[in-house]
Amino acid sequence: MARSEDAGHHERAAGAGAGVFAADAEVGRDLARVDWSATPLGPPDRWPQSLQTAVSILLSSRFPMWMAWGEELTFFCNAAYRRDTLGQKYPWALGRPAGEVWREIWGDIGPRIDTVMTTGEATWDEALLLFVERSGYTEESYHTFSYSPLRDDDGTVVGMLCVVSEETERVIGERRMTTLRDLGSDPSVVRTEQEILAFADQQLSGNPQDLPFTLTYLFQPDGSAKLAGCNGMSSGHPAAPAVLPPGEGVWPAAEAAGGESLLVPLDGPPFSGLPAGSWAKPPTQALVTPLLRQGDTPYGFLVAGLNPFRVLDDGYRGFVELLAGHLSTGVASARSYEAQQRRAEELAELDRAKTTFFSNISHEFRTPLTLIMGPLEELRTRFADGDRRVREELDVVHRNGLRLGKLVNTLLDFSRIEAGRMQATYEPVDLPALTGELASVFRSAVEKAGLVYDVDCPPLDEPVFLDRGMWEKVVLNLVSNALKFTFDGSIRIAVRTEGSHAVVTIADTGIGVAADEVPRLFERFHRIENARSRSNEGSGIGLALVKELIGLHGGTITADSTEGEGTRFTIRLPFGTAHLPTASVAPARDTRTVSSADPYVQEALRWLPDEDGTGAGGGVPPVPPTGADTSPDRATGPAVTARVLVADDNADMRDYLTRILTGAGYRVDTVEDGAQALEAVRAQAPDLVISDVMMPELDGLSLVAELREDPRTASVPALLLSARAGQEASIEGLQAGADDYLVKPFAAAELLARVRANMELARLRNHQARWRAALVDSLQEAFFVCDENGAVIEINAAFTDILGYGPEGLPYQPIHPWWPDAETDAAAHDQVAAAFSQLVGDAKGSYSIPVTHQDGHRVWVTAMFSEAQDPDTGSQVIVGTFRDVTAEHYAIQRESAQAALGMRVSRAASLPEALTGALAELKDLWSARRVLAVVRGQGQEPEVTSTDPDLTWEMLSAERREEFTGWLEQPPLTAVSDAKGAGITVNHPEGPMVLHVTLGENRPFTDEDQLLLSLMAGQLAQALARAHQIDQQRETAIALQRAILGPSHLPEGFAVRYEPATRPLEVGGDWYDTVALPDGRIGIVVGDCVGHGLQAATVMGQLRSACRALLLQDASPARTLMALDHFAAGIPGALCTTVFCGVLDPGTGELTYSSAGHPPGILTHPDGTTTLLEEGRSIPLAVRPGRHRPEAGCTVPARATLLLYTDGLVERRSRPLTAGIDQASEAVQDGREAAVDDLATQVMTRLAPANGYDDDVALLLYRHPAPLEMSFPAESSQLAPVRKALRSWLGQCELPPHMVQSVLVAAGEACANAVEHGHRDAPGETVRLRAEAHAGALHLTIADSGRWKQPQPHLNTHRGRGVGLMHALMQRVTITAGTTGTIVDMHTRIA
Amino acid sequence: MTTPLTLIPGHQPDGSPLLTVVGEIDMTNTGALAEALDGTEGSLVVDLTAVEYLDSAGLSVLFAHADRIELVATPLLGPILTVSGLAELTTVHGLTAEGPAGDR
Repeated sequence: MARSEDAGHHERAAGAGAGVFAADAEVGRDLARVDWSATPLGPPDRWPQSLQTAVSILLSSRFPMWMAWGEELTFFCNAAYRRDTLGQKYPWALGRPAGEVWREIWGDIGPRIDTVMTTGEATWDEALLLFVERSGYTEESYHTFSYSPLRDDDGTVVGMLCVVSEETERVIGERRMTTLRDLGSDPSVVRTEQEILAFADQQLSGNPQDLPFTLTYLFQPDGSAKLAGCNGMSSGHPAAPAVLPPGEGVWPAAEAAGGESLLVPLDGPPFSGLPAGSWAKPPTQALVTPLLRQGDTPYGFLVAGLNPFRVLDDGYRGFVELLAGHLSTGVASARSYEAQQRRAEELAELDRAKTTFFSNISHEFRTPLTLIMGPLEELRTRFADGDRRVREELDVVHRNGLRLGKLVNTLLDFSRIEAGRMQATYEPVDLPALTGELASVFRSAVEKAGLVYDVDCPPLDEPVFLDRGMWEKVVLNLVSNALKFTFDGSIRIAVRTEGSHAVVTIADTGIGVAADEVPRLFERFHRIENARSRSNEGSGIGLALVKELIGLHGGTITADSTEGEGTRFTIRLPFGTAHLPTASVAPARDTRTVSSADPYVQEALRWLPDEDGTGAGGGVPPVPPTGADTSPDRATGPAVTARVLVADDNADMRDYLTRILTGAGYRVDTVEDGAQALEAVRAQAPDLVISDVMMPELDGLSLVAELREDPRTASVPALLLSARAGQEASIEGLQAGADDYLVKPFAAAELLARVRANMELARLRNHQARWRAALVDSLQEAFFVCDENGAVIEINAAFTDILGYGPEGLPYQPIHPWWPDAETDAAAHDQVAAAFSQLVGDAKGSYSIPVTHQDGHRVWVTAMFSEAQDPDTGSQVIVGTFRDVTAEHYAIQRESAQAALGMRVSRAASLPEALTGALAELKDLWSARRVLAVVRGQGQEPEVTSTDPDLTWEMLSAERREEFTGWLEQPPLTAVSDAKGAGITVNHPEGPMVLHVTLGENRPFTDEDQLLLSLMAGQLAQALARAHQIDQQRETAIALQRAILGPSHLPEGFAVRYEPATRPLEVGGDWYDTVALPDGRIGIVVGDCVGHGLQAATVMGQLRSACRALLLQDASPARTLMALDHFAAGIPGALCTTVFCGVLDPGTGELTYSSAGHPPGILTHPDGTTTLLEEGRSIPLAVRPGRHRPEAGCTVPARATLLLYTDGLVERRSRPLTAGIDQASEAVQDGREAAVDDLATQVMTRLAPANGYDDDVALLLYRHPAPLEMSFPAESSQLAPVRKALRSWLGQCELPPHMVQSVLVAAGEACANAVEHGHRDAPGETVRLRAEAHAGALHLTIADSGRWKQPQPHLNTHRGRGVGLMHALMQRVTITAGTTGTIVDMHTRIA
Repeated sequence: MTTPLTLIPGHQPDGSPLLTVVGEIDMTNTGALAEALDGTEGSLVVDLTAVEYLDSAGLSVLFAHADRIELVATPLLGPILTVSGLAELTTVHGLTAEGPAGDR
């Protein structure tokens, strides 16, 4: 013990170290008490400053800290550390070696401290788990801390400081929260108890720290507890028995059942070997917590093994209780869900059982009833006059049969109501009248009973919506009920209005009902015991049914009764229809007579004293006297023995039916089920089928449906027998196609009557059908009937003739067999499919389609159809007719195709265009992939024309080429074909041609197609020949025109164009001409003769020649034109020719001109401005021969461009001529920097209308000065003359003087190079120089045939300098040296 | 055949030597020019006022004597004397007054 108990010592120490420990009063005091001299540190007054400072800082900090100093790592701490972490170790720990203080965790922290002490580096740990013993037990604790070195005054590490925060609460709190959160994270809303507990166990297993193990026990009804959940422990462990018997076992179940929590020490067996969770040792305690249930004993309890390193504090206990609460909630919701589920299932099962039961009653009761009542009717008839005793007994049987039937019907009504299948029809009914009428059938019985019968039913203001059948049952039940229980007094029936309700009361003065029985009066099957009544019979369901039926009407029924005084039933029915389902409300129908009263009345009469013993007497409606007609010997048998097939699985019924029918003279065959019946009918159709509805194998409804499906049996009449009464059942039967429907029980007479009627009808119908068939077959057009799905169900003979498909294949389901194949003929198939959808979709219409005859050939039909209703079945059918239009179709196709081809070819302007057009037409016609024409013409290889414009002969495969070559040998109009398509040989003007159509996929080429192709090929051959002829004529004319046109050698500086009109392509009378005059001047002529064609061309030729001659004679434009006036006057067709005639001095640019009605020339200056040569103008040629013509002069400036033209260039429909002239001016302006020949092309292109010129055009361009072209031998002596010529030309170009010199030097250098280098090995070769002026630039080209050397200034200074000069003086110099010579291109802008 | 060229040796009013050249100087006659120049010694004024054409062949001759000659020329020869660089080596009279030499 280092702490001193010695006060004196304490005083001294305190005195000495008071300053060191002053920062904290309490801990400082305890530190001061430590006997420091016993520690390696010695007394505080001798402590180094560093230690004193460290202690002082430690004590003054409010953050939990401890420190160790010196060789023993003596322990210090501050108040915060004491509070959070040190616990019971304070103040014992102060001054002790740290290793002693934290002995239990030294294994964890020792190495860390060593690290700090040896390396001087700080450590950091976050939420480190440390098992400390500070509260008397080993405790799980968490700390976030850092160890940092403390140095002495020399800087040596002599201690460490720990800054720490205790995180135990946080870490454990978060852990528990996570567990609780996970428990609540169950994603499914409701699960079974087992699933919920398994899920909980899984979540709890995520926290092995707080819950090393858990067990969940649930109490069983016998008081035992069953292990329902187990976490962390194997279920076979002795501490986890599967069942805890009541009052015993390892866990205190009884206390838990009492709602107590209990802490159980886990000592000895059976608790040895318990799982430890995440710890090194198992729990020593477990908390048993009840799973509380609201207001009841707990569901069970949770056993939670506790963390041995934590005490069970409030937080821990609360945590376990929350877990238990969670489990309770889960068990509660699971149990409630299970209970609901079970209840729902039980209810559903009950309902199913009930419904099945009631449905079965139908069959089980009705069939035997029929077999009882049928023969009974016969017996009663037979013994009507016989033995009285027998008769009476028969009556008893009869009456009871009726009762039984009534009971069955009532039960069936219930089952329908339950199943929601009660088919009510609410119609407006005169309630008092109907009620009175119903009541009246009991009158005799009531009066016979000696009671007063008061029916008080005055009319109401408005009708009540009722289902008559139901209302009948209501009234009959209530009145018979009244009669049954009333022995004296009266029965009163009254109808009144009360507000919005009609009120019907039925009151009696009978025995009444005890007050406590009244509420149960309307309960089903409830019978009041020991009540005095006229009869003990009764099922107790009459009133219950009444209540249900009234409920269906939206009404209510109440009963008031006083025992011994009587009972009053009050029915309240709302007026109007608001309370009724709309679909069930119907308008008023004819009132029917009471239909179901008989059983009630018969029964009631039996309760009364029988006076004469006959039963049915007085005014009681007699049993329908059906028996009278049913005796076989009296039946009016059929004229011819008709066959009836009876299908019923009940042997008695079969025998009974056979007896009746045989007796009536029918031949009867019987079968036992629907399948046999179907077989029998198919084998040999009977005249009538009588079938039970409910049969094994194939029931009656299906049998009828099958019969109707098959056209062979569709017309066999069928009569269904069924135990199922009611409208919905008979509707179902009739819908299935039954001709009639008879409900069991039925009277023999009724059956026979129906059989007879149906046979008659069928016979009549068959007669009509035969008539109809004969009529239809006699039609010339094909006739068919389709059902609504498009299946062909009836056809006539013409149908078979046209398509090859006969009636034996009926019905023909879509896709019908005559549809073109979808694979091989997709287009036709689609066409038929489209028509088909029209057929089944539209009410009526018509279409023409290609179809395939049964033998495979193509037939075109035009069909008309319209919708109709089958009078027998009421179903929608489609009736149609069609005729064979194959021949017409192909004729029309041929005609239109030929017309289209003719049109296309006639529009073509040339032979190739005609062929291209024809191919396109053929491609369209057959929807072909490609159409190809191969012509073997003059060339070596055949020419290919194709709808694929790029296809050439070379691109075809070798086999294909060979194939075509072979075909080309065939005579014209020979059909050829291959896998890809079909073709034909044709005569092309240039040689044999093969035309080949490559068909699209799945498009067969039929004989008709082949025929059409042949026809079109013939037509094409003629068209091509014609086109060829026209082509030749045109070519001749153009060649002629070009031949007469223009000079063979055009002077420099000129460009000319002639373009014939495009459409119709014809030569015209336009011309241009230049004439070299003896004085060096040039005569220029542009003229335009009226008209087109060869005629005009001839006139033009004459005028042109004349004009040339005249100019040569006299270089005056005016005089030339005046002479030409006279000449033209003598030439037919020359009148009105317009001519521009000019004479140009190419040296000076001076131009004299005269115009004979010709459009003005356009002069474009270098700056872009234009002038029109509008002077010197007069009338066209030959209009006034002898008349003086004016002459004008102008100078074409240097680098200006002159444009002369004929009106075809500028004249357009609906546009003034000036617009065209402006457009031409712009074109020349824009092209003034282009070479003159390029400019000519530009102008012609730019002014051309979209579809080409529609008049011929002559155009002449001149740019002044004309380019200089010189050729001279490569000799230096040539340099001076060349220079002189160039200098002169440059002068014509009107350039600034310095520019002339620059161009001269540059050109001179190029020429000198050509002479000196290019040709030193071969002197005398030619050098060519060309200089050309555009509006704003000069171009020079000096070309030789030698090779230049690259400039090498060091070898030859002045030559190298020459190239340098060229570059310096010109704007662009390009020297192109090749094997054939060197070309110097130079360019400079004119500034 | 050589291009006609007239070479007139003479003296300035101050007595210094002067060579007056008349005509066009091209590769055909540079030999004559070179001879004329070689025949003189010391500084020399070459008067090119009457020269209408001078190309690189003539320039090379003049370059050979650039350190001892002065030139007199019209603006017509300005560009070629300038772009060739000769005007930088010798004094050229008569260019600036007229303008083209001023283009430098």
